[in-house]
Amino acid sequence: MSGVNLNKVVKTYGDLEIIHGIDLEVHDGEFLVLVGPSGCGKSTLLRMIAGLEEITDGTISIGDRIVNDVPAAQRNLSMVFQSYALYPHMTVRKNLAFGLGNLKMPKAEIAKRVAEVAKILQIEELLERKPRQLSGGQKQRVAIGRSIVREPELFLFDEPLSNLDAELRVQMRVELAGLYQRLGTTMIYVTHDQIEAMTLATRIVVLQAGIIEQVGTPFDLYNFPQNKFVATFIGSPKMNMIEGTANKSGLLLPDFGQISLPKNAPKSGNIHFGIRPEQFTIGKGGDATSTGKITLIEYLGSELFLYITLPSGHVVLVQASSQTQYKTGEELTLSLTAKNAHYFGEDNLRIPLYDEKK
Amino acid sequence: MKKFFAKNGPGYFFLIPWFIGFFCLALGPILYSLYLSFTKYNIFKPPKWIGLENYEFMFLYDDRFWKSLEVTFSYVFMSVPGKLIFALAVAMLLDKGMRAIGFYRALFYLPSILGGSIAVAILWKQLFEYNGVINSLLAKIGIEGPYWLNDPNYSLYTLVMLGMWQFGSPMLIFIAGLRAIPRELYEAAEIDAASKWKQFYAITVPLLAPVIFFNLVLQMIDAFKTFSSAFIISGGAGAPLDSLNFITVYLYNEAFAFYRMGYASSLAWILMLIIAVFTGVAFFSSRYWVHYENERD
Amino acid sequence: MTDLSIQEASEIAHNYRVIRDKRKRRAAITKHLFLAICSLIMVYPLIWMIVSSVKPDNEIFGNISLWPSEFIWQNYPDGWNGLFLSFTVFYKNSIIVTVLAVIGNTLSCSFAAYAFARLEFKGKNIFFALMMMTLMIPYHVVLIPQYLLFLKIGWVNTFLPLIVPRFLAGDAFFIFLMVQFFRQLPRDLDEAAMIDGCSPFKIYWAVIMPLSLPALATTAIFTFIWTWEDFLGPLIYLNDIRDYTVPLALRNFISQDSVSMFGQLFAMSILSIVPIFVFFIFFQKFIIRGIATSGLK
Ligand SMILES: Nc1ncnc2c1ncn2[C@@H]1O[C@H](COP(=O)(O)OP(=O)(O)O)[C@@H](O)[C@H]1O
Ligand SMILES: [Mg+2]
Repeated sequence: MSGVNLNKVVKTYGDLEIIHGIDLEVHDGEFLVLVGPSGCGKSTLLRMIAGLEEITDGTISIGDRIVNDVPAAQRNLSMVFQSYALYPHMTVRKNLAFGLGNLKMPKAEIAKRVAEVAKILQIEELLERKPRQLSGGQKQRVAIGRSIVREPELFLFDEPLSNLDAELRVQMRVELAGLYQRLGTTMIYVTHDQIEAMTLATRIVVLQAGIIEQVGTPFDLYNFPQNKFVATFIGSPKMNMIEGTANKSGLLLPDFGQISLPKNAPKSGNIHFGIRPEQFTIGKGGDATSTGKITLIEYLGSELFLYITLPSGHVVLVQASSQTQYKTGEELTLSLTAKNAHYFGEDNLRIPLYDEKK
Repeated sequence: MKKFFAKNGPGYFFLIPWFIGFFCLALGPILYSLYLSFTKYNIFKPPKWIGLENYEFMFLYDDRFWKSLEVTFSYVFMSVPGKLIFALAVAMLLDKGMRAIGFYRALFYLPSILGGSIAVAILWKQLFEYNGVINSLLAKIGIEGPYWLNDPNYSLYTLVMLGMWQFGSPMLIFIAGLRAIPRELYEAAEIDAASKWKQFYAITVPLLAPVIFFNLVLQMIDAFKTFSSAFIISGGAGAPLDSLNFITVYLYNEAFAFYRMGYASSLAWILMLIIAVFTGVAFFSSRYWVHYENERD
Repeated sequence: MTDLSIQEASEIAHNYRVIRDKRKRRAAITKHLFLAICSLIMVYPLIWMIVSSVKPDNEIFGNISLWPSEFIWQNYPDGWNGLFLSFTVFYKNSIIVTVLAVIGNTLSCSFAAYAFARLEFKGKNIFFALMMMTLMIPYHVVLIPQYLLFLKIGWVNTFLPLIVPRFLAGDAFFIFLMVQFFRQLPRDLDEAAMIDGCSPFKIYWAVIMPLSLPALATTAIFTFIWTWEDFLGPLIYLNDIRDYTVPLALRNFISQDSVSMFGQLFAMSILSIVPIFVFFIFFQKFIIRGIATSGLK
């Protein structure tokens, strides 16, 4: 087992810089999730760690070994691909055994390990099948099996669940979490799905356009997003953003009017006021109120979301009790509390007004 | 240095056979052949540099060379269009998911796959003997057939027919090309009351143009290189009266019957230039009559 | 118009349908008839050859009947031993050359194709362009220098000039065919194998090769057919009758010019193309797909 260290890692394709000098410390034994919109460079970063992509600049070390020039095969890691990349001409058993055979491991040992892994993943009856005779979920299991059978010190996953249907995805997510508990090996996991990121990660790295926006635990990212991008990227449904103007006595918001802020708040300029759907209260109270009209209702059973159009025409998303009946067109009073909101300056960075108190 | 090999080594390793082949059997020989074409060389004495003399002799004095050009070009210009028209006609008949298409396709392709063999060349020669099958058939309808093989006016036609008989591979390529034309275009034309003939030249031909072009280039290059059948049918010497003395046959005899390696090399270079020019012209002209689907005007 | 009863209307519709179906059926019959006649013309020469191989010699010419008055099966054993050596020797030679050529060509071309399709190295694009350029070079240009080279190293009158070049990836067509095929295999497989600890060679051998059987088969089949039919190569490099391949032996048959042996000549001609025919029957799918997708001959 070992951690991974990225030091000013840069990747260019031709003249185009894709990864702009990334520093990142992956702790030994943690489940690190790289999340970000598609095309932001997650796969590229992962593939550089794997040794499938050359590093243009900077260094990558695994354990205490710099691996820039170490071929993939000698990095003692394994990888699960989005396409599974099972060898179509080999049976499941051969797929699992292939990497072990390359290590010149004795036959008996290989057979033992394959049997063990097949048991863990419940794919024992599939061992003699070819990949094309497997369902998506089964292929996924085999792909995972192929990576754990080698007992590497580092696991890499590149969007392993995105080819599965919603139900299977949830199921496999739980299994992956269980597998991590059981193995405790360092894992680096790439996804564009922030629910996967939140549920699996010990720490999340939010990546955008080749730079790291924030690194932190799911709790940190949700409650203390360091910039506007992370604030809106993490959390589903998205955080509401209201553009306000700072003044001597606090902040002036459209629809809600004036709210007062602590002394350390800026006294002028624009402020992005962010508030999550569940932070609104329906009815009077809080620090400011407004009324609006319900334009759309999304009822999810356990949860209920209301799209509310405010007098200025601005639409906010509000989570409400799913036990209450609402009708579109209905007028509602909304209120909010200043200390539950997030504040971002004109540079889109977080203004830490209430962080100690949360 | 070490890093260079770590990165490029595997690629070069897998190309080793190709490198050896390319330098020893392609590039080297081409350059050496160019050199030889400026020499007089009979294998037994070292090559002697004579400058442009071979080419001078060829163009100014060698009637057999001009004759061989005439024969080769006549053959190409008769057999290739004939072959392609035939291939396209049959391909269109076989199109549209008819029954037994697999059977016909295989049958029509059979001559092409056997066609390169000496057996077929021998067969062809016998078919066209004066008392052979062709003349017997012609006699049935009251025509007295000529001495196909011995009359220089007719001998080339036997080869042209042999070439056309092997229309199988352009046919297969045409079938694949026709398959790629969207059905809806014909349906739309049908609704617009376009006649079959109009559909042919307004839809089939333009959309098939890239395939026609491809076949044309391939068949032309191939036809210029015709050797075995001409060699067998002409008895190895281009007879009668050089009427089957294809440039390839002439070249072969100059080199391996008379050991005039220098002169034969210059003939080979002329053949290569002819093929290059024709391929080039085809590619150049294709800009005016071939439009590829994903190309903007 | 509106006075038509439902019954009348359906009757008219019915009549229409009958006429249309009739017209369609007639068109289909005409087409099939036409194709049947075409195929007859196409295969007639081949059938004639088969029949002639068992006809008495005096019936071969001037007699178009496809039914011999008497079956002379003896033509086969007689023809087999009709030359100075028996055809057993020629077949053995042909098989040695062909089998080794097939192995060599398939291996070496797949080697080069793997490098071009999958590995990164300096100069790749240039080499690829050079490789594609060799497609244009007619064999006749390199023929003489190659002959001189093989003469110099003492390979003339051995099978080596017919076999060794096959191990040197000289056939750009097949390299290209395989490059195309390899490129459409998912790259993830290579990468998974890389992580699984495979060297580039192991990836080639254990992943790419087993997944490319269709492309390898196409290459092997065409190499088989072309090498088996090859005439020019053996003609130049093999001078001792003990080394002759089947096509060369066949040519010897006709150059002996004894008119009484035509039955035997045809018998041996047929035997010479039997292997190709068998290949064609068994591997039709590969052959037809190979041509339709890549324009192989
Ligand atoms: N081989 C390549 N050549 C050029 N650009 C590439 C290559 N691979 C990826 N890219 C570019 O790099 C960027 C990041 O790609 P990737 O890491 O696959 O994104 P992600 O996995 O986050 O969706 C994309 O804009 C992509 O177009
Ligand atoms: Mg990706």
